[in-house]
Amino acid sequence: MTRYILKRFAQSLLTVVLVLLAVFMLLRLMPTSGYFTREDYTEMNETARNAYLRSLGVLDHPLVQFKNFIAKAAQGDLGRSITVYPRTAITEIIAQKIPYSLWFGLAGIGISMSLGLWLGVLMARYKDGLVDALGTAYVVIVRAVPSLIYLFFIQIGVSGLLGWPMVFYEDRALSWILPGLSLALPGLAWYAIWLRRFMVDEENKDYIKFAVAKGLPRGKVMSGHVLRNAIVPLVQYFPVQLLLTIAGSLIIESIYSIPGMGGLLVYAIRQQDNPLVQALVLIYSVLGVFGVFMGDVLMALVDPRIKLAGASPEREAT
Amino acid sequence: MSTTTKAGPLRHALTLNESACVKGDTLLEATDVVIRFNLRGKTLTAVRSASLALKAGETLAVVGESGSGKSVFAKSFLGMLDKNGRVASGSIRYRGAELSSLKGEREWLSVRGSRIAMVFQDPMTALNPLKTVGEQIREAAALHRGLDKEHSRLLALDMLARVGIGEPERRYGQYPHEFSGGMRQRAVIAAAIACGPEILICDEPTTALDVTIQAQILELIKSLQRDLGMAVLFITHDLGVVAKMADRIAVMYAGQVVEEGLSAEIFYDPRHPYTWALLASLPQLGVKGEELFAIKGTPPSLFKEIKGDAFAARNPLALKVDFEHEPPFFSVSPTHRAKTWLLDPRAPAQEAPDTVRRLRARIAEAGKAAGLREPNAPTAVAKADGAKKRKAKKAKEQADE
Repeated sequence: MTRYILKRFAQSLLTVVLVLLAVFMLLRLMPTSGYFTREDYTEMNETARNAYLRSLGVLDHPLVQFKNFIAKAAQGDLGRSITVYPRTAITEIIAQKIPYSLWFGLAGIGISMSLGLWLGVLMARYKDGLVDALGTAYVVIVRAVPSLIYLFFIQIGVSGLLGWPMVFYEDRALSWILPGLSLALPGLAWYAIWLRRFMVDEENKDYIKFAVAKGLPRGKVMSGHVLRNAIVPLVQYFPVQLLLTIAGSLIIESIYSIPGMGGLLVYAIRQQDNPLVQALVLIYSVLGVFGVFMGDVLMALVDPRIKLAGASPEREAT
Repeated sequence: MSTTTKAGPLRHALTLNESACVKGDTLLEATDVVIRFNLRGKTLTAVRSASLALKAGETLAVVGESGSGKSVFAKSFLGMLDKNGRVASGSIRYRGAELSSLKGEREWLSVRGSRIAMVFQDPMTALNPLKTVGEQIREAAALHRGLDKEHSRLLALDMLARVGIGEPERRYGQYPHEFSGGMRQRAVIAAAIACGPEILICDEPTTALDVTIQAQILELIKSLQRDLGMAVLFITHDLGVVAKMADRIAVMYAGQVVEEGLSAEIFYDPRHPYTWALLASLPQLGVKGEELFAIKGTPPSLFKEIKGDAFAARNPLALKVDFEHEPPFFSVSPTHRAKTWLLDPRAPAQEAPDTVRRLRARIAEAGKAAGLREPNAPTAVAKADGAKKRKAKKAKEQADE
């Protein structure tokens, strides 16, 4: 187990470094004017600009810059934003924004997971019945209709109907409900359809027939065997989904004016805010890659067949 | 094989729970069972008025090729037909209680596992890969015997030891992938008998196993049957297996039992052309250099009504009447009957084909090798009678010519 975890950890680390290196090097190809705010750029003359760039260290060899960036990041210094929030420490920016995205994200996952898994179980249990048909219709709508359509419908239609606020106010709990629900909709569909699918798969397996032949009641077969096994392939996605809530949702945060992380990366790229882009790519890739890593570890914990430490399972002869 | 018991007080639970069970009493009786499936708007009749009786403590083998309905028939005893299937008519009685009228899972639960248990063909897939083997034996036992966790664990350990799995304590906590195929089948059998059933249905339990393991599993089933006094319904297409296991044999073809008798009767004195063909196709009985026998043609479609004898079309010895009227059962002995017009007194003399006649000698040898008993007196008489009759008829024919 330990060896397996260490091996996967090293692989994850390597992945993060490679992602980061690629993005970092690409950013070095951008014109250096991106390191100035518009006013600074016009005010400075050529020598002042060069001196400024040298002070930032961006004239060093890219690999040296990369090394410095990593060294600083390791100490918790991600640099300062240049164009998006001029001269503000990036850690400060994200520290302010993360809580919004995180809480909404967790609420969204909480709702989508509890309702989605429950719906999935019902759909599998009453396969081809009414619940299954309605659930499938819901999943198809959520997956097929462009999300803006139903998100706007919820924002405008539902808030109008119930007299709830249309945008997010930090001090009005009622205004939190619609964005939270909206965040949960796609995840709910995802959990429901995959759990249903895996449960139906499991239900047709021989060991289920044998469990029935042993005389286990259907409820026990469903919970102790079908659900237990069907949840395994889903388990590996849980950590990455949880972690990536920090990244926020671009669409929902912008339509409800939530000051979260949602649009930050896109905005930083558009403004050519190199330090901010680097920092965000670092954070997101770390979250993504380690989410997958933790998913793998979780899988190994729930599925005994994933044998750890490479040694093939010893099978004993009759 | 170790049968030492760690859980002494539990032992009694394994002996038969019904006092009224005397060896030879009919436990399970299926009469004129018709099983139909709806498949894409069409109706398939998988079992066409088949009857079987299973007596306490005996081993009855149901033999037939794939699609003969033997598995479906057996599954109906547990109410485990697929959703699109149903027992359309006939009765299935267990200790006199009608099973075919049981509705829904709740009613079936009183039978499944605790009264009638089933072991499936492929041990590689019959166990949940994500649960420990011990837990899978324990769960059903706990449920049926109302035992708490600790007691049912002891029972499961005892079961593991009983089916010949060494170091049960360690094996209990292992997962199926840590077991070999033969060990898994042992574990499956342990789970099946943990509920203390009176009837164990084995649906081709050795087909998926290595030949070397097959014999061990058969031996195990035999010894468990002896120890626990279970009746075993053994479904197979392998006549070699049958010779080792069965007290009685029922041969199924196209959803019907076509011949039924004591093991020795079926092997020494088969009467139905299909049984002949089945025996003739035993590779063990082939002769080196001689082509192996195979039954020509394919079984009839079960989607359509079958006119006459279902085997007629593949039977080189078929009579005209076989294509028009379904034969009834003719008794050969009190324990032996076959569903063929050849046994009708009006039937023309029909010498068994060369292959079958040559077979008899070989079967006799093979039967001796397999420890098969010589046919008992009445059968021998019947056989002699039959032979005499045949000879007389033949002589008459020759005279006519």
